[in-house]
Amino acid sequence: MVSYLIRRMVLAVITLLMITGIVYGLARAMPGTPLTVAIGETDPSRKLNPADIERMKKAYGLDKPWYTAYFVWAGNVVRGDLGRSISRKQPVATLIGERIGPTLALSGSALLLTWMLSIPLGLYASARSGAVDERAVSFGLYVLYSFPTFVAALFLQIIFAVWLRETAWELPLFGMRGDGYSTESSWLARTADVARHAILPVICQSYVSLAWYSRFIHANMQEVVRQDYIRTAKAKGAGPWRVLVHHAFRNTLIPLVTLLGLSLPALLGGSVIIEQIFTWPGMGRLFFESIRERDYPTIMGLTFMFSVLTLLGQLVADVLYAWVDPRVSVE
Amino acid sequence: MTGEPHQSAGRTSDADAARGFWSEAWKRFRGRKLSMAALGFVFFLVFVATFAPAIAGTKPVVCRYKGTIYFPCLGYFDRTLEPVIFSKDRFRGTYPANLAEKDPESWAVWPLVFQDPYRAVRENEWPGEPANPARDQGKPSARNLFGTDQYGVDVFAKMVHGTTVALLVGFVSMGLAGTIGITVGATAGYFGGWVDMLASRLIEVVMCVPTLVLILALVAFVDKPSIWKTMAIIGLTGWTGIARLTRAEFLRLRSSEFVMAARAAGAGPVRIMLKHILPNALAPVLVPITFGIASAILIESSLSFLGFGPPPPSVSWGSLLNDARSNLQMWWLVVFPGMAIFLTVLSYNLVGEGLQEATDPRLREARK
Repeated sequence: MVSYLIRRMVLAVITLLMITGIVYGLARAMPGTPLTVAIGETDPSRKLNPADIERMKKAYGLDKPWYTAYFVWAGNVVRGDLGRSISRKQPVATLIGERIGPTLALSGSALLLTWMLSIPLGLYASARSGAVDERAVSFGLYVLYSFPTFVAALFLQIIFAVWLRETAWELPLFGMRGDGYSTESSWLARTADVARHAILPVICQSYVSLAWYSRFIHANMQEVVRQDYIRTAKAKGAGPWRVLVHHAFRNTLIPLVTLLGLSLPALLGGSVIIEQIFTWPGMGRLFFESIRERDYPTIMGLTFMFSVLTLLGQLVADVLYAWVDPRVSVE
Repeated sequence: MTGEPHQSAGRTSDADAARGFWSEAWKRFRGRKLSMAALGFVFFLVFVATFAPAIAGTKPVVCRYKGTIYFPCLGYFDRTLEPVIFSKDRFRGTYPANLAEKDPESWAVWPLVFQDPYRAVRENEWPGEPANPARDQGKPSARNLFGTDQYGVDVFAKMVHGTTVALLVGFVSMGLAGTIGITVGATAGYFGGWVDMLASRLIEVVMCVPTLVLILALVAFVDKPSIWKTMAIIGLTGWTGIARLTRAEFLRLRSSEFVMAARAAGAGPVRIMLKHILPNALAPVLVPITFGIASAILIESSLSFLGFGPPPPSVSWGSLLNDARSNLQMWWLVVFPGMAIFLTVLSYNLVGEGLQEATDPRLREARK
């Protein structure tokens, strides 16, 4: 087990170096630099003179070729320093710390909602397998799965923010907090305000995975219910519900556990599109903005975090798999 | 599943074996009504894309002008295909009045809908018809089936002409991804050893970089964005799943008897890979390619939606949605392109699922 973990870690570090190296090279190859893009776009009269640009380039290490700069960056990361954002004049770690809360609030509630709804839905579909209502529900889920998130987001915005405007059902179009947030004194009112803003993004973020998870559970259940031990359970007189939940569902938990590991990066990484549509101040939006601003330290900090989470998620999934299923061994 | 009564199991399986794998798979695919309907929808899109200039446009499909027959509508496919004589005679893109004025003998066959995907139709451009409504006044009407955008450009015409992009994105990017994926996966699976090790690392690296990161970085990296570059980028980033599956299939098949027989007969590795293993590995690999077409269309439209799409004048359904973001009260800018993207993605997913059920013997056993 220990030697397996060590081997996986070594491979993960190599992969990580390759990923960050590639992204660093790509980021530096993008046309424009953080200095020219950020300042020139907002106000042409404030364009820096060439001497200043040279001075700032030196200060941020942009005068070095990308491979040298990459190793400087990697060395700093090893020492626990993600660098300072060029366009925001703040440490990258602080920026990530600010954004991680909103993203976690959004994706955490979305994940919770997904699991709470998809397990009953999947079980229901397995119980009624083949019946007309199950087919209708399954087809509905399939349709939902193919529905593009950004189209759904626009539809929801039209319905709840335009058509239902000035009714009790109106929901905010974007942002995380209303205008009255800072004047609200009670903790409850503030939470309610954020929750109202979160409803639409959470729906958008959860419906695709809801459809996917339910189908996944249903498909796994269909494999399991054909096993002999299910027939045995039925033969000894267990009721249909007990067979389904106690005997069948427990055995479909194994692939579900691996899914939990694989959803780790999405949990903290956020969704660029949803956060962009609803202007939710999370990680995805930070990433999108940092690409537009050519803010190399932030791009790299986020890429580093995404990649670590992805690799960690895969490792956790594999280890968990071996842990819940004694037939599988990580060796 | 096909709905035919099963007479004797033994005889049908004999007949199945005689018919060959693909015709058998096609028969099973045909039995799935939804997948067939989805395939029909894809063919409908191909039809719309091919005949787009004849469905909506302001240039005649065929016309006779000064004694010669021309096809000005081809100009929608490529500017250079529009006959030079019309720019020489100063038509400036306005055909109906100019044709009648400069050659009273002329005749023309017009597109079904006289609307242009690139500009608003002006007053009296088509005799007796008003100009397109601009800003938020362009609700769907008999003249503008799907309404008009804030500049008065007809949404129906834009969508008809945008079909080409939606179709091309799917086929071109997945063609590229399929080629890369099959090549990498086949090499890794067939040779194994350090080749496999290297290829697997490469696959893992590309898989780990968040797709949108890679795409946004590459999109920003190319100087002049065009629809072809977008397709290339989607293809370059979307091959990992195909490679993994191909690798697994090749690993499984490389030690099988027919491969050994081919090797004994003196076939080289390339010949064995292409002629002996690939045909047997193709069916499971085609499934992720079909699903990949759906996700390529999704990625292209989300890129256009985020404002990273190809620049105008190329029209894509996603860029229509991007226009809608700042004009949410113009619901028709969201509903029609949104439903078009959704139906196309759904169709490809249904075709992919039908293909999976029709070609995977494991699933077939499960359904019995």
